[in-house]
Amino acid sequence: MVVVYAGGNLGVALSSLFLNPITLAGGIQQIFVRFILFYTMGLGVGLALKAGLWNIGAQGQLLIGMVMVFVVYTFLAFLPWPALYVAMILGAALGGLLWISVPTILRVRFGANEIVVTILLNVVAINFAFFMLSGPIKSSGTALGFPHSVELPAQFKIPNIVGGVPITYAVPATIALGIILYLVVERTPFRVKADTVGESHETAKYAGISIPRVMAVTMLAAGALAGLAGATYLMGYRYELDIGSFSTNYGLVAIICALVGRKHMLGIGFASFFFAYMTIGAESMALSANVTTYVVFAMEGIMMLGILLGNYLTERRFA
Amino acid sequence: MSFPLSDIITGILSTTLQLSPFYLFAAMGEIVSEQAGVANMGLEGIMLMSLMSTFVVDYMTGNPWIALLAAVGVAGVIGAFFAFTAIRLRVDQIASGLAIYLFGLGLSFVIFNTVYPTGLTPNYIPLPSLIANWNTVPYLGTIFLKQNIMAYISVVLVVVTAFFLTRTSLGLRVRAVGENPKAADNMGVNVNKVRFLAVLFGALMFGVSGFYFAGNFVPGFQTDVIAGRGFIVLAMIYFANWKPYRTLFAALSFNLVYAMQNEYVSLSGFGVASVSTLFNMLPYVFLLALIPVFGRKARVPKFLLKPYRKG
Repeated sequence: MVVVYAGGNLGVALSSLFLNPITLAGGIQQIFVRFILFYTMGLGVGLALKAGLWNIGAQGQLLIGMVMVFVVYTFLAFLPWPALYVAMILGAALGGLLWISVPTILRVRFGANEIVVTILLNVVAINFAFFMLSGPIKSSGTALGFPHSVELPAQFKIPNIVGGVPITYAVPATIALGIILYLVVERTPFRVKADTVGESHETAKYAGISIPRVMAVTMLAAGALAGLAGATYLMGYRYELDIGSFSTNYGLVAIICALVGRKHMLGIGFASFFFAYMTIGAESMALSANVTTYVVFAMEGIMMLGILLGNYLTERRFA
Repeated sequence: MSFPLSDIITGILSTTLQLSPFYLFAAMGEIVSEQAGVANMGLEGIMLMSLMSTFVVDYMTGNPWIALLAAVGVAGVIGAFFAFTAIRLRVDQIASGLAIYLFGLGLSFVIFNTVYPTGLTPNYIPLPSLIANWNTVPYLGTIFLKQNIMAYISVVLVVVTAFFLTRTSLGLRVRAVGENPKAADNMGVNVNKVRFLAVLFGALMFGVSGFYFAGNFVPGFQTDVIAGRGFIVLAMIYFANWKPYRTLFAALSFNLVYAMQNEYVSLSGFGVASVSTLFNMLPYVFLLALIPVFGRKARVPKFLLKPYRKG
């Protein structure tokens, strides 16, 4: 329905976008790379949103997750291969979790607004990542001017499912994660708890729900998921950390996906795939029309507004 | 390299006063907007569009005042659209604000890139310093007289905003529709009209901020050139509890920390970016550290983020 709506809204302009992603070389790989990013981060954003909390800082947690992959890789290098492999993934999640623990503590203990704190920490994360990249986890051979990490050796890359097809095991793993979260979150009393906290703290208090606990659990999980997204992105696609990985929009797109998927753990998956598809379509269209790829941000903004307005129209019809 | 301490201090204070107005204009706009119950998270997108318009119009006309008009005009149009979605259509404010941000982030560069595809531009003509020969006055010249007229206006704006919100009837109505729209409505206040005006005022101020950014922060336009500084305004007013004078304090102290680390980094001449990036974090960490101290007393406008439906 969302696809039909956005397609109908933007008309012919978008119809050309639909084919490019699947016909162009590398398009499908790109779609799934973005899908994994958006879905993993979107799950966290959506989870926090259920409890009424805005994690605007998914981008920062993602960056810290990516940094942690290389911190673990560099400083725990003495571990044997499978242990190090797992440690890198867990380290990324832990990094995201630690990063969001600041706004979580400030929110739960001091009542400080999480939007403000997560926004601030995004800027701090960029500087911190830059510092780590130009110091502790820097590649020794920096002939290329901009600081970057080493490239991960082959045994730390997430392999493709089928040899030549560039779809890694991270894709089914991400979908499985979404389904697990769906079962744990949507099919248990936790959903009611989170929704109640999100709706009204007074009602939640009256119902005997531990508000701090629900807030802390959803926020910490959100940070861990965003950090985890950093691991799958680096180990499944990019293999090295450089300034180019610092694109500032992934966290915001994850928020869009969470909203469009109506905070539903499976809905976010469909929204993420839709936005991954559209982003790649828009990028390839921009390239072929010789327009800067920044047009993609503008289109994402317009799509998001279109979807929000669509929600308004449908709600009005049934109200 | 050795510099006299007095020069260093003068430099730090001058930078502080040069950078603060950008935050002040936007903060006053966002305060009025949020006091009326509407948070505009799209502020950085609006700033980017205004900044881009400033550069393009300035290049074309050579007149910074016409560029200011363009910046404010663009901001007004986007602000009115945001106000329409958030107030009339009751769309989630955070979501539509972020959409406006993405929209501005992308479109600003697309337009700039279309007008100047090679990136080669004429020289940017900035606003003149308040006193042309500020050099002749020792210390105070660099600190105060070097700044342009907009820097002074930003401080006046703080006083005016504080007066407006507490001492004028329209200001009281602004706060009433953010605090208790139903009661305001019962008293005959047109809630959504007041909100619309407040959001529009906010957007116009983001336009002024975007205009001020040119020249004072960057010599030319690039992608994502404001780099989150617009969003920092949200943190400042939160820390300042929506109070204009406290926001002035927040902006000045934030920029003082920024200027100090900046001066330190440039004086110590770190060859690699490595250590300097750690110092770059300082102003943000400083602001963050203030939040548990001051933010716990924060009193959010009661109906912030909540659309109003009559009846």
